Amino acid sequence: MDAILEVRGLTKRFEGLIAVNHLDFAVGRGEILGLIGPNGSGKTTVINMISGTLEPSAGSVLFNGARIDRLPAFRRTRLGIGRTFQIMKPFPGLNVRDNVAMGALFGMAGTRPTLQAARDEARHWLEFAELAGRADQRADALGGPDRKRLELARALAMRPTLLLLDEVMSGLNPVEMGQVIGVIRRVRELGISILVIEHVMKVIRSLSDRLLVLRHGEKIAEGRPEEVLNDPKVVTAYLGRKRA
Amino acid sequence: MKLPVRVVLIAIVMALLAAAPSIAPAIIVQFGISTLIMVTLAQSWNIIGGYTGYTAFGNSVFYGLGGYGTAIAMVQFHWPFAAGLALGAALAVAFALLLGLPVLRLRGQYFAIATLGLVGVMTAIVSNVDIAGSNIGLVLPLLKGDTLFYELALALALLTTLAVAWISRSRFGFGLIAIRENEEAAEVMGIDTTLHKVLAFMLSALFTALAGGIHAYWITYIDPAGAFDVTLNVKMIIMVVFGGPGTVFGPVVGALVLSAISEFLALKVTGLAGMFFGLVVVTAIVFMPRGLADVMRRFRRVGWRCFEENIRTNRV
Repeated sequence: MDAILEVRGLTKRFEGLIAVNHLDFAVGRGEILGLIGPNGSGKTTVINMISGTLEPSAGSVLFNGARIDRLPAFRRTRLGIGRTFQIMKPFPGLNVRDNVAMGALFGMAGTRPTLQAARDEARHWLEFAELAGRADQRADALGGPDRKRLELARALAMRPTLLLLDEVMSGLNPVEMGQVIGVIRRVRELGISILVIEHVMKVIRSLSDRLLVLRHGEKIAEGRPEEVLNDPKVVTAYLGRKRA
Repeated sequence: MKLPVRVVLIAIVMALLAAAPSIAPAIIVQFGISTLIMVTLAQSWNIIGGYTGYTAFGNSVFYGLGGYGTAIAMVQFHWPFAAGLALGAALAVAFALLLGLPVLRLRGQYFAIATLGLVGVMTAIVSNVDIAGSNIGLVLPLLKGDTLFYELALALALLTTLAVAWISRSRFGFGLIAIRENEEAAEVMGIDTTLHKVLAFMLSALFTALAGGIHAYWITYIDPAGAFDVTLNVKMIIMVVFGGPGTVFGPVVGALVLSAISEFLALKVTGLAGMFFGLVVVTAIVFMPRGLADVMRRFRRVGWRCFEENIRTNRV
């Protein structure tokens, strides 16, 4: 497999707690890999170590074959890794257009666009994320679902080749979920590889090419969605052991 | 055709201001010098506080270094004034670079307190340096007449405001705004936050130090307590917050209005003058936390309701 992202022996210790333990996996070019697991299993920690907001205790992260685990977060972004946050982090005082323009202004690797060019670029991604009607509103005036779209549009304006999505569906109702799934599918058609954390099983099953299941920071299963979700180990991790 | 009209208006105002020393009485010119210096100080603070969102209390260090650099160069080395200004500015910018790297890692109140500490440290250090005249200070050569100081202060205020105008529409400035709005997100958006913050701090230091140098030569005297004065830093903050932080003209308006009122009170109602800046803080925070510039913009649309909205949205 031609991997865009490769993780080897990735480990994160917080004091005595081991949040992620010797994790190995890869994301193929153009692939959507779903990262699932119960609460506290270390999913967000993995994404934080890939995007650079957390430093790994051990192990390595390779992006397009080069090690990136010692680079500051902004350098990784410029290499082509975009992300969204589970707890959304918009620029509250700016309007929606400028929020997205910020991604184009600084994220696009090797370019230094003008403000005007960045705003034009922003318009494109606002339409892509079905948010164009709210371009002039302040980001802190947006409701939950629109904030999710904003996170997505802002990450896409950085023109990433790998997108890390941290629970973009949480707090959405089924209709809104359907819309965001549509957007993510279109992202993939652009040739962007995606690593997605998701709690909603129906969503992750319909989106992912492969699944990786974490429990207590360790990989307990990996493979095609149908196989993984029927794996007794995974069922136990989520639902607990059957009582006799 | 909107922009040229504006440019012409500003040019006329600037020409009138520049001509003031030959028309206006001396007391107005002196008030003009101290006010224009306050405009520069407020505008410099606006770069680090208004655009970058870092509540700096250390700008009086830059101000003091600018003054001392000028004084030491002129008194001890017998350099010309311009070289003294350059020395003061260089000291302040170097200080901003060396101290900015560690101090700008702190956020919120921790940054404020750390920079506040720097003021105390600098006062103590300079009070014990012989070349700076220890705690007695230095007396600079006397230059008769206020015209040079007035024109210099005017030019510097204009230059600083132009720099802020550039920041407000540049890629660099957008990086600063992103840091103010959410630093963690800014980093993940590809912004080199450390570089942006340190550059903003250095830029703020440059203009503040130049103002300090002009002020020291104008009043021909500098001592540690006067040069590293925290209340001056507090005034900068009040003027920016009153006028509108993170805007180009807010700090100018804030500095002009508040300087004028406080000067008037100091002359007529001495008892009130001491309380004045305290009253301004309370009023500004309750009624217009985003500054005068924001109120003026919205007042045209919603009228008096904008104060009501301010109170409601900021849950005072």
